[in-house]
Amino acid sequence: MWWYLLKRLGLSVVIVLMAIAALFVMLHSIPGDPVSIALGPRATPEIQAAYAEKMHLDQPLAFQFLIFVGNVLQGDLGTDVFSNRSVGLTLSEQLPYTITLAVAALGWAIALGIPLGCLSAIWPNSWIDRVTGVLSVGTIAVPSFLVSIWAILIFAISLRWLPVLGAGDEGDIIDQLRHLILPAFAVGLGWVGYLARMVRASMLEVMGENYIRSARAFGLTSRMVVFRYALPVAVLPTITLIGVGFGGLLSGTVFAEIIFSRPGIGRIIYDMVLARNFPVVQGAVLVTIVLYVVVTLIADIIVSWLDPRVRDSL
Amino acid sequence: MTKITQTRRGFLQTAAIAGAAGLTGTFPGISWSAEGDTLTVRFDREMESLDPGFYVGGHPPNDVNWCIMPALVHFGMVDGQASWVPSPYVESVEVVDSTHIDFTLKQGLMWSNGFGEVTAEDVAYSYDRMTESEWKGDYVAYERTEVKDKYSGTIILNQPFAPFMNLTLASGTGIILCKKATEEAGGKYTIEPPATCGPYVMEHKQAQYVRLRPNPDWTGPLPAFANIDCIFVTDSEAGALAFEAGELDCAKITSTSYARYLKETPPGAALTVAGALQYMWMGINIENPKLSDIRVRKAIQRAVDIDSIVQGAYSGTAEPSYGIICPGLVGKRDAAGYSYDPAEGKALMDEAGVSGLNLTLRTLNSPERLLAAQIIQVNLAQIGVTVEIIPLDSGPFWEMGQESKGDTYKDMELWIMRFGAGPDPYEATQWFIRDQVGVWNWERWSSDEFEELYKQGIGETDQAKRHEVYVRMQEIMEETGGYVWLTHEPEVFIHRDDIDAKFAPSGEMQMAYFAPK
Repeated sequence: MWWYLLKRLGLSVVIVLMAIAALFVMLHSIPGDPVSIALGPRATPEIQAAYAEKMHLDQPLAFQFLIFVGNVLQGDLGTDVFSNRSVGLTLSEQLPYTITLAVAALGWAIALGIPLGCLSAIWPNSWIDRVTGVLSVGTIAVPSFLVSIWAILIFAISLRWLPVLGAGDEGDIIDQLRHLILPAFAVGLGWVGYLARMVRASMLEVMGENYIRSARAFGLTSRMVVFRYALPVAVLPTITLIGVGFGGLLSGTVFAEIIFSRPGIGRIIYDMVLARNFPVVQGAVLVTIVLYVVVTLIADIIVSWLDPRVRDSL
Repeated sequence: MTKITQTRRGFLQTAAIAGAAGLTGTFPGISWSAEGDTLTVRFDREMESLDPGFYVGGHPPNDVNWCIMPALVHFGMVDGQASWVPSPYVESVEVVDSTHIDFTLKQGLMWSNGFGEVTAEDVAYSYDRMTESEWKGDYVAYERTEVKDKYSGTIILNQPFAPFMNLTLASGTGIILCKKATEEAGGKYTIEPPATCGPYVMEHKQAQYVRLRPNPDWTGPLPAFANIDCIFVTDSEAGALAFEAGELDCAKITSTSYARYLKETPPGAALTVAGALQYMWMGINIENPKLSDIRVRKAIQRAVDIDSIVQGAYSGTAEPSYGIICPGLVGKRDAAGYSYDPAEGKALMDEAGVSGLNLTLRTLNSPERLLAAQIIQVNLAQIGVTVEIIPLDSGPFWEMGQESKGDTYKDMELWIMRFGAGPDPYEATQWFIRDQVGVWNWERWSSDEFEELYKQGIGETDQAKRHEVYVRMQEIMEETGGYVWLTHEPEVFIHRDDIDAKFAPSGEMQMAYFAPK
């Protein structure tokens, strides 16, 4: 197990370093001069030159990359070129909102999707299975931004039950929860379908295994067979899926953060890409990459703990 | 629907009005509103900096600065027209002659953080500082401020500069900083002013909100709303939905939403057009070999149906444009020197001996611009020109005509462009002088007469003569065949109809002047 952990950690470091390099190249390959975009048509050549100097844009690309990597290794994600604030500070303010949204969205999706998948597998071709199948495909197929707008129109504009803007007042948990409901619903809805389909398929496969048949032959109750012997095995690919999904949501909640005007990492990346505020974009994407790697690492460790066979597969 | 118009009030004329009326600025409220009476507005982007010398400008920094920082003058209404008025921070502001402006500050206005009273020294420091700033263009005529005593002084210009009161002092770059605090902060700041003085104090949380709360040290007149919450809502449609959900009291909206709300305004809502200080045109590269014959360019001018663009792309909400000077400003033309006449355009093409012409039309990839481009594509087909539309992201779009960014400018043929303007014609014309060829003058023409008129327009204080100057400058531009005037897009806000909302001509919210009806 320890050797597996060591190899897995080493791989994670390599992935992060490669991602940093790829990110840097991609950001600087975006068409357009960041200076003229950021400052707009009013900017004089003097203003443009000062801005370029401030952002090190007048330096060779390789030099800019070295500056960036050196700073990252020292824990310095840079400085926002407009506000002069620390990028790390900005991101530390935004990150909790994104994590909260991702956890809430995946949380309710797991709470609903896994039981639905189990029920479908336990009673295949029953009305529960058919309804779940239709709903799963439906929720996967409907784009989340459409769900967001629909939810706003129904619950915020027509019924006025739920708020639509922001993340709620600090210190007021009830208000924050009310502000979380619609975006978490919109982000998580598709995941209900994904998880139900995944668990159903895995469960059907596991339920046909010999050891399950043996368990039944020994007279174990259906509840015990399902929850003690089938589900822990069937849920393994789902754990990996949830890990990848959670990592993806760290930047993938952007649509909900924009539509619901919630603070968050996705939204700050979106805003700063438009503003060509490179230090913030680099820092934010780097943070999401690291978190993504960490989350998938945790998922892999859980899977390897539950199923020792995967320890030899790396 | 309310429509705010603005005019370039006479430099001396407005002063006379203000002086005669004994006007001094005041906020509308007589006391703070009841607890919980909060104005909630939309900010469409995050603030990069509040420092008037080094900010990106416009909305939202100006909206905030006008609530927390002193200024000698603000925008207000004089004779039903938007113009400068003395601010609540002054006893008086008087334009003595074309190069001297006297002012006297109110006493007892205190800077935050223990930096003492607002003084004439602060005024002098603030304006002197602007001449070395990134916005020194606004202070091109500023010479110095002569401090008479603690509260009064005289601003001295180095030449008559007609736009000084409206373009310089009343705009966002005219705010006053605390000399001592700014110097202690190193001479500049970003989003945390080292000292403020206004009816509100600011609390800012990045990408979330700016909260304006009562300033306990403020001794001046009180605004009607005790609290203002400015929520960052970057997506325009999300802003409109939030207004409909009752979570915003005022929000800037797009032309699309404007057209929708004109047909059916939500209950309890009102629409205000805060100005149309945007000018959009189709540019033609006169140096491109395909377009070097002026008859071809004039044919293109006559082939574009502006009414179709106004209706098709803007649902009738934009105003047709006849030049670069925006509605309500001196120099605004009543008509272009050409009109939609595809038959005449075809005849010009035949006269030039040009047929089977293929051209590219570059545009930003926004829905309105793409629709306008498609209408132009159909229009030009009538005179035998085949147009290929090239939609572009803002990155490549804003650098394509700049010589310093590569050689794309040589390949440019047609493009749809829009600039924002300040409340004076001087600002719009500055981008088309000879020095701007290859910078922002992408049509790549120049004219000695235009250069001469540009200088004349800056110093001319007679409004009738100024009008003639700027009209002639637009005629010169049009005669190059490099411009097809398109529209002036309005800045539109939707707000609660029980709120008297106030806006600057340049489209920023004057939130301290908002009041319940």
